[in-house]
Amino acid sequence: MPSHADLDRQIEHLMECKPLPEAEVKALCDQARAILVEEWNVQPVKCPVTVCGDIHGQFYDLIELFRIGGNAPDTNYLFMGDYVDRGYYSVETVTLLVALKVRYRDRITILRGNHESRQITQVYGFYDECLRKYGNANVWKFFTDLFDYLPLTALIESQIFCLHGGLSPSLDTLDNIRALDRIQEVPHEGPMCDLLWSDPDDRCGWGISPRGAGYTFGQDIAAQFNHTNGLSLISRAHQLVMEGFNWCQDKNVVTVFSAPNYCYRCGNMAAILEIGENMDQNFLQFDPAPRQIEPDTTRKTPDYFL
Amino acid sequence: MDSSSHMASLPEDIITDEHLQQQTQPASASAFASVPQRPPTKSSSEKYAPLDWSVYFDKEDDVAIPESNDVFHVYTAGTEGPVVFCLHGGGYSGLSFAVSASKIKEKARVVAMDLRGHGKSLTEDDLDLSVETMCNDVLAVIKELYSDSPPAIILVGHSCIILLTIIGKKLLHHQSMGGSIAVHVAARRSLSALAGLVVVDVVEGTAMASLIHMQKILSSRMQHFSSIEKAIEWSVRGGSLRNIDSARVSIPATLKYDHSKKCYLYRTELEKTEQYWKGWYEGLSDKFLSCPVPKLLLLAGTDRLDRSLTIGQMQGKFQMVVVRHTGHAIQEDVPDEFATLIVNFISRNRIGPHGIEIPGLRKPAFSKP
Repeated sequence: MPSHADLDRQIEHLMECKPLPEAEVKALCDQARAILVEEWNVQPVKCPVTVCGDIHGQFYDLIELFRIGGNAPDTNYLFMGDYVDRGYYSVETVTLLVALKVRYRDRITILRGNHESRQITQVYGFYDECLRKYGNANVWKFFTDLFDYLPLTALIESQIFCLHGGLSPSLDTLDNIRALDRIQEVPHEGPMCDLLWSDPDDRCGWGISPRGAGYTFGQDIAAQFNHTNGLSLISRAHQLVMEGFNWCQDKNVVTVFSAPNYCYRCGNMAAILEIGENMDQNFLQFDPAPRQIEPDTTRKTPDYFL
Repeated sequence: MDSSSHMASLPEDIITDEHLQQQTQPASASAFASVPQRPPTKSSSEKYAPLDWSVYFDKEDDVAIPESNDVFHVYTAGTEGPVVFCLHGGGYSGLSFAVSASKIKEKARVVAMDLRGHGKSLTEDDLDLSVETMCNDVLAVIKELYSDSPPAIILVGHSCIILLTIIGKKLLHHQSMGGSIAVHVAARRSLSALAGLVVVDVVEGTAMASLIHMQKILSSRMQHFSSIEKAIEWSVRGGSLRNIDSARVSIPATLKYDHSKKCYLYRTELEKTEQYWKGWYEGLSDKFLSCPVPKLLLLAGTDRLDRSLTIGQMQGKFQMVVVRHTGHAIQEDVPDEFATLIVNFISRNRIGPHGIEIPGLRKPAFSKP
């Protein structure tokens, strides 16, 4: 069993954006699974805590986030999923967050996003990145097996409900969510899928999500959910917002997005949400980290496409 | 003149498989004297034999446009449901959708049009592939097919995508005009000619960046074919198409016979249409994103989305599916998967014969009274 000293060495190593050896990743995932299996579908979290949105493998921007928000464990963190895919450093990003979780289990909460999935990661980059950096898919398998154990949602001081995507027409209460069997691949539809895929909408009621999974939900739905469950706010990620955060639905819902200049091209700011001792809320916005040398992903000559 | 008589009159092939990847040279006795002639194996010629459209579509028609000499060829399949109106890419034809149409037609109607300068369509100016002209062509065909009571239409476009967004906007505008349409609106509560957009493997940013290479790509293709079978074989062995069945039905329609050279050439002289290419892609992403109907983007790889589409996808503005193990012509290479994606898109978005079938948004079973 790795000691605190081993973990500290690994974290220091990862902070330099260097992947761990495969065997150490396996051991780390085994430890993380033992911790996560004990966590709830609606994981209780105490304040103060800093809430973060999508990271998407943008490792240096994650380091910038820690520079702005403070290092763990001095700052408590709640990450709302989507650690991998798209960016160049999904391996280092997710390994660091898992290592921090194992090292400081009560001071960091990591939720599941729609990209913490076997199917999605095979398409959007994490699988290919693992192959490239390790020569085989074992590390991808260690992590995607671990992803099944991530909590689906979190609840800060019984008042602020946090999750990656949004609400589900199948789930009226937090107890409905607690009753789900979450330890599985993200289904294509159904309540677990909805929690990771849904988006708030300007239109009232439930709508068909343009994304092809989940639903859109209106202010009436969010307000009712908040009222029914005694909540003051739903905090979620999943959508790129150009300022890094966006209030909507008369402050029933806030979107937090923490990948600045998403995909190294969108030009957006990122933000994190600080929730203080007295539940006061403060957004910290940040720009991308100073430009790193991009890995040379070979640009192939284009094919016929007229 | 039908192609079978061409085949009957052609001399036997003298080009062997070893020369398949090279451009055809005029035969000379001295050049081939030392190479023994080997006719193609029977299985090889059968493997690449052309297939008739009627294996996959139910019907073909010529649509003559009033007050012009233009005639557009359309293939149709299916009798019920919304219309999946298919617009092929440059250098292809309506038969590019043949194999997938045979599966889509179980759930929806399919119309695949030969665009100007392609397939069996004949127009006064086959080289005018400007966006404006082609949009007018498609709208004219839709008008001739459906006059004043258009069904719900899902526009599916492969490559010439900007046509979709502009045609889509005009269809939406059209529904708000005309007395008879107004009557239908009143009767049905929600009439919408345009019900969905499906874009097949084009992103503005990557397309614009690649246009400078396109003439070189076009000229590097095999240009002459001694038989239709050879053209089909080249398209499959050369990798531009990966599904033999689809190539057998779609490639013949992209060829024409040159009597003077006594060989088959490409029907569409794409290299002469370069002046229009930029117009096919410029501003495409924003037009796509601003079209207010359900949208599906199918990509053959996670090649780089441009900025607009990346933002739009991450804001949940459209559905994106990356289809693997396929080249650029997704509808040809993986027709079953393509058809399933179209049918699921129609089903998920509740698109019926006359538009979205749920007036207003659905209330969940769990909603409080």
